[in-house]
Amino acid sequence: MSGTTIGGWFQRRDILKWSAAAGVAAAGTTLLSGTMAFAEEGSLKGKRIGISTAGTDHFFDLQAYNAQIDEVKRLGGEPIAVDAGRNDGKLVAQLQTLIAQKPDAIVQLLGTVSVIDPWLKKAHDAGIPVLTIDVGSSHSLNNSTSDNWGIGKDLALQLVSDIGGEGNIVVFNGFYGVTPCAIRYDQLVNVVKYYPKVKILQPELRDVIPNTVQDAFSQITAILNKYPEKGSIKAIWSAWDVPQLGATQALVAAGRTEIKTYGVDGSPEVLQLVADANSPAAADVAQQPAELGRTAIRNVAKLLAGQTLPRESYVPALIANKANVGEVTKKLGIG
Amino acid sequence: MLVDTALLVPASARADTPSPQKTTVSQGLAGIALRGGALAVFVTVFVLFAFASPIFLTPFNLGNILAQSAISGVLAIGLTVVIIAGGGNVVSGGIDLSLAANMGLSAAVYAALSQAGQVDGVAVLAALGTGLAIGAVNALAVTWARIVPLLATLAVMNVVGGLELVLTQNTVIPAITPLLESLSGSGPFGIPALAYVLLGFALITAVVVQATPLGLRLYAVGEFPEAARASGLALKRFIAGSFLFSGLSGGIAGILSAAYLSGSTTGAGELLLPVVVTALLGQVFSRRLVPTITGTLLSALFVGVLINGFQLLNLSSTLVSGIQGLLILLVVSATTLLRPKEG
Repeated sequence: MSGTTIGGWFQRRDILKWSAAAGVAAAGTTLLSGTMAFAEEGSLKGKRIGISTAGTDHFFDLQAYNAQIDEVKRLGGEPIAVDAGRNDGKLVAQLQTLIAQKPDAIVQLLGTVSVIDPWLKKAHDAGIPVLTIDVGSSHSLNNSTSDNWGIGKDLALQLVSDIGGEGNIVVFNGFYGVTPCAIRYDQLVNVVKYYPKVKILQPELRDVIPNTVQDAFSQITAILNKYPEKGSIKAIWSAWDVPQLGATQALVAAGRTEIKTYGVDGSPEVLQLVADANSPAAADVAQQPAELGRTAIRNVAKLLAGQTLPRESYVPALIANKANVGEVTKKLGIG
Repeated sequence: MLVDTALLVPASARADTPSPQKTTVSQGLAGIALRGGALAVFVTVFVLFAFASPIFLTPFNLGNILAQSAISGVLAIGLTVVIIAGGGNVVSGGIDLSLAANMGLSAAVYAALSQAGQVDGVAVLAALGTGLAIGAVNALAVTWARIVPLLATLAVMNVVGGLELVLTQNTVIPAITPLLESLSGSGPFGIPALAYVLLGFALITAVVVQATPLGLRLYAVGEFPEAARASGLALKRFIAGSFLFSGLSGGIAGILSAAYLSGSTTGAGELLLPVVVTALLGQVFSRRLVPTITGTLLSALFVGVLINGFQLLNLSSTLVSGIQGLLILLVVSATTLLRPKEG
């Protein structure tokens, strides 16, 4: 993955060089186009960038965290990276110390908004620009996030198309309170609305944290007992892919592999199942955590070069299905 | 064979060594070295950080260290009082494992009540009451039911952790109240209010424990229970009192935690081991290698300084727990070897 990306960068660099040269030749505005090209590319030379994460114990966080550190170094800056290990007290203490260190910017990756928001405000009040990844804070200048509307739509269309536009689907909807999950669910409902033969079985299931996999396994096993005939259920949908993992295992255990499962996040173990031709795991929308991390750091460079940032930067997600899962895992750098 | 055995037996256990006096002298010297060593390590680390980072010695940063140590400091001080009254034996002596869970439940009670629209006064009383109630259960289990503190408080810890789950459904309960805002804000000289709370709490407790007859009796009950009983002290009352105090500390820490984290969050139990380590480590910062309030405060600040300095120097904070572990190993082995045998 890094190979392709770096290749992309060099290409872009070359284009910039060429356009700068063209500018010189055409109008002789050497200085102007020169600085513009520099600003486009973004430099963090001599800048100290605070990188704070709620944790690095999930695939997503670890990828985004490391990509940020690498990107700051690549652009010539000095990263001050702190990992709270999923401990809110530690997270706040690290932010507090970070504010005292007065870096040129702070990028916060994930975290419970009510806990970190007062500290992001303190950073903001201390004159330190705050950017975020996947955190909706009013004190953040820019939030890099996946396009959850796109994720929800892609997953729903794949599902409806796979089951031929008719049949019952089982839905895990335990985290409607979490905004990305709500958007993905709403998109499923929007798509299903136009396929009258597709029915979401009631009551919907509630996925839980922790013990997500075991719980999903037992809930799906119970549902399968309730709907014993093949074809009575066509698909199982969840807003992330850990319940999908438990559901897929339950289908295999019960010998009901005709039912397909769908989820979001691109966890390596689920992508592996999607890659297995015999597994009921049909599709998993993968976010691009490393790309999210790089985007946030490039945004910092733009901001420090005097550009204004959009409120949100959307990074496209990649849907992995039976046909393209190899490509997607390669692109994510986990193939 | 004989040589091997001699090597394997720790110095203090060799009761029949030919020159017991020499052993005592060397023990005394080692004790001084250990105490001096601990302080020297603290001072060295402090000076190193001061030279290595221009930010370290700023009042703002030092205030941050105090504030960041406030929650674990208050808990560790509560635990220290239990250890003093119950004796220093790690297995059968005084210990309160329910402290971190206590803090979690007290914070949750405070946050839930404020979210339900109760005023600060009610929420504070309820949080402190929660802490005291947990302390009372511990006290009953240890003095009345005669369960070893290690097991009694372990059981209470699980009950309290369960109650917190029931109350919060394992979610974050945000809370913003005037009290919490002033606690998480700055006090005089731009230093965080939590820093003053820690210093005030430590000062009051230190004066009571280290400079009053009550404190002296507390030590007597823990270190020489037979002598204390013979001189007419009600041992159970002191031990029960120490658990009530640590329960109250849990309640206070709960309010501080709610201020620091703008409500109650999950994972309070993770604080247990750091707090136990802090209280045990405190012994090397005392003159006679016994648990003291000032020693525990120094130990909490030492851990805080390490974590803060490592971040300022851009070093991985994972090293902090390694250093803490090494120190605790040193402390426990040294105190076991060097302290005069009890009874």
